[in-house]
Amino acid sequence: MARMKFLCDADRCIECNACVTACKNENDVPWGINRRRVVTINDGKPGERSVSMACMHCTDAPCAAVCPVDCFYTTADAVVLHNKDLCIGCGYCFYACPFGAPQYPKVSNFGSRGKMDKCTYCSGGPEVDLSPAEFQKYGSNRLAEGKLPLCAEMCSTKSLLAGDGEVIAQIYKERVVKRGYGSGAWGWQTAYRETITI
Amino acid sequence: MSYGTEETTMSQKNKDAGLDRRNFFKALGAGATAAVAPVAVTPAAAVDPGKDETKARYRESEHVKDFYRVNRY
Repeated sequence: MARMKFLCDADRCIECNACVTACKNENDVPWGINRRRVVTINDGKPGERSVSMACMHCTDAPCAAVCPVDCFYTTADAVVLHNKDLCIGCGYCFYACPFGAPQYPKVSNFGSRGKMDKCTYCSGGPEVDLSPAEFQKYGSNRLAEGKLPLCAEMCSTKSLLAGDGEVIAQIYKERVVKRGYGSGAWGWQTAYRETITI
Repeated sequence: MSYGTEETTMSQKNKDAGLDRRNFFKALGAGATAAVAPVAVTPAAAVDPGKDETKARYRESEHVKDFYRVNRY
């Protein structure tokens, strides 16, 4: 059985944020919530790296382990989803997640949280596939349409890979063998001079 | 009259009333336990999302194969 995974090649990410925009648009994500975001390390310095982050759909998900109402479930594709009808917006999963994936809409002026929202790997939720209720709560269900998450499909530099973990790992290996890695990559010395080695 | 003498007098009064200040919550707790004990407690069950919700949705369609192909470049 295929296991759905994301893989972001930090060598290729140019921090264009197209993945973030695509995700927000495709899933009609409410204001103040980013299911995906681009994190830049050593911003503006030689060796700057950007990586696109969202829910990593962990095998042993800590969010599911701490949820007091047990609203998380893992699909046969190894996608971690949650049921918004059960979620009480307590925030435990936000503290448990090492990637900061769970987000909460601000529902009032008094700091109360709404239902948790996170990346669904563009595969909807517990509602009927491709139904309006599913779209309203969880966004689109591209997996049911025979597609992959739009963030990865939109990536202009092919930095963000999505799909069967074994296939994308193989694609990444082929790239490294063919083009090199880091400062050994094809064109690196031309672009960044010989003095910079990362 | 000193304050000490007044306090002694008040605690003496409470004891006389039958319910000591130090034993008030103990008595209350015992009463509550007695009231709750007969109610049957049902264990909380985890919600089963069902087979339909957890079924695999991924399939290697032409669209997905195209994605894999262009990502090999």
